[in-house]
Amino acid sequence: MASTDNSLIKVNNLKKHYPVTKGAITKTLVGTVKAIDGISFDINKGETFSLVGESGCGKTTTTKMILMSEPPTDGIVQYEGSDMAEFTTASRKEFKSSVQAVFQDPWSSLNPKMRVRDIIAEPIVTHEKATNNEIQERVNELLGVVGMHPFHAERYPHEFSGGQRQRIAIARALSTRPKLMVLDEPVSALDVSIRAQVLNLLKELQQTYELSYLMIAHNLATVKYMSHQVAVMYLGKIVELGNPKEIFGDPRHPYTRALISAALPSHPRLQRDELVLVGEVPSPIDPPSNCVFRTRCPEPTDDCKNGNIEMGLIEVSPGHWVDQCCANCG
Amino acid sequence: MSEEILLKVENLRTHFHTKTGIVKAVDGIDFELHKGETLGVVGESGSGKSMTAWSILGMVPKPAGRIESGKILYHGEDLVEKSDDEMRAIRGTGICMVMQDPLTSLNPVINIKKQLTETLELEYDEDKPSLLQRAIGLLSSVNIPAPEMRVTSFPHEMSGGMRQRVVGAISISRSPDILIADEPTTSLDVTIQLQYLKLLKDIQEETGVGIIFITHDFGIVAKMCDRVAVMYAGHIIEQADVVELFDNPKHPYTKALLKSVPDLDDDVDMLPTIEGQPPDLANTPSGCVFRDRCPNPSDDCKEGNIEMAMIEVSPGHWVDQCCVNCGEID
Repeated sequence: MASTDNSLIKVNNLKKHYPVTKGAITKTLVGTVKAIDGISFDINKGETFSLVGESGCGKTTTTKMILMSEPPTDGIVQYEGSDMAEFTTASRKEFKSSVQAVFQDPWSSLNPKMRVRDIIAEPIVTHEKATNNEIQERVNELLGVVGMHPFHAERYPHEFSGGQRQRIAIARALSTRPKLMVLDEPVSALDVSIRAQVLNLLKELQQTYELSYLMIAHNLATVKYMSHQVAVMYLGKIVELGNPKEIFGDPRHPYTRALISAALPSHPRLQRDELVLVGEVPSPIDPPSNCVFRTRCPEPTDDCKNGNIEMGLIEVSPGHWVDQCCANCG
Repeated sequence: MSEEILLKVENLRTHFHTKTGIVKAVDGIDFELHKGETLGVVGESGSGKSMTAWSILGMVPKPAGRIESGKILYHGEDLVEKSDDEMRAIRGTGICMVMQDPLTSLNPVINIKKQLTETLELEYDEDKPSLLQRAIGLLSSVNIPAPEMRVTSFPHEMSGGMRQRVVGAISISRSPDILIADEPTTSLDVTIQLQYLKLLKDIQEETGVGIIFITHDFGIVAKMCDRVAVMYAGHIIEQADVVELFDNPKHPYTKALLKSVPDLDDDVDMLPTIEGQPPDLANTPSGCVFRDRCPNPSDDCKEGNIEMAMIEVSPGHWVDQCCVNCGEID
């Protein structure tokens, strides 16, 4: 993979396998769920890296490993050049404060019994030594940054609308001055007229603070609007990787094309050519050998159909990587 | 689409009497649904789209909610006047609803066979084996693979897309005239969403069922609908044919909403947004309900001098008279 010095996070051949056991006591191993099976990518400073794909393709597992809430089975995640697995206690602490997350549902991600002030201050209290006055000032400043007022600090989450709650969640994530923010479907629970407000806020914050985002989203138009790099995932593998112009303008992998064709049109006259994939995603316990997509490939080459080609990304144009098996499928 | 009118709603008002005042969830709306037509009802949460559906089905939560005035004409009869028992007979055979979340609308402890046949029993006076055959037929009509095997499974053994198709099968099992779909695809992946939307279209082509599609996603509207009603704070503020609405939106809210959605086929740096929040329905502004958010209100709009009422700006294109003269966002 093209490696640049500008990278904040480097992921190399990352794997996460979960054992499937049978029996309450004996726990005999009956299979392995390959949630993530060898993915590599870089997240650059000040850029948005998006993961797209259907549920179960491993997007969330990837973010969990980057947030260090799940240890990888194999592979390396580097943060600013140092391997996460070899973090000292001090560097782990520093890492934890420089990575924050904003979740999909602002109704369940904010504690209903805490005041907004305490919600936003919590990461500061956890990670830093600050006096009450300093915290108060920071909270007020953060509320201003996300477009809210200092008097909102004394209220409870239920007093706010969805968009405002998501702003509070963003302020909380910003409170430790992070370098990376994980955005898991940041706007899909919000109303249409509010989505653009929150997306624009995220873009502005990125420019102001040189933040990196790792974003998960289903809506491809949102992904295109926000991202600098997009990875399309299928069954624990990255099948296509590149900048959004390339991915959405010149998709090479049939799965990417199917995802794009399933995206809803922006105008009733602009109906897309429909490329409906047959069936559903196979079980990750027993994925197809070699090319995981071959069971659903609409026009597989003979080699693809028989599973003769190993998966591996090849560069089709500068910075645009596609899985080598399906690059030639129709 | 034919000229036969299936449903005609006239000046419908559904209000809730709460401790804090009267919440005007639906406040004077008019629309028609023709045979074989799909009417999209678009709006944000709290705009009254779901309450419109509940009102038509006679399922407004009592005692707080009440249909204050208006008519819902179905086959020449006013549904508002019907008793609960009469409405129960209409639900299912005449008007049927597909719910948002297939996981909660299916009973988790009863298998699919039982859930399908208990609806079919009401329609057909047949013995068990032939009802089972009908259930299998229904499952295959919604494209569930191996329906003979699937019919004995439980909801948790199926994927989200399959469950939603089972819900679809139940709702068409008694061949209703009208299907009300309340955001049926929000919990589905994009590729599965496309399969499901196609299924609804196929069913419509075959049976001529009229569909009221409740959604907040203009993409679904562009994909599915023939006509659109845009709702805001309990009012329909614009209603037109789908192509006309996308080409020539007249209300500033519709214009702004259409612009604020990121577009996969277009590049923009910053999305235009609508500032502010929808009003509190217990305390809506006098005159035009949109005037607090109107980006460029005319003087009369700002003062609330103009009552809300629809005017026809071109054949079949109705807009609220107040904001038709207001400007849009810069």
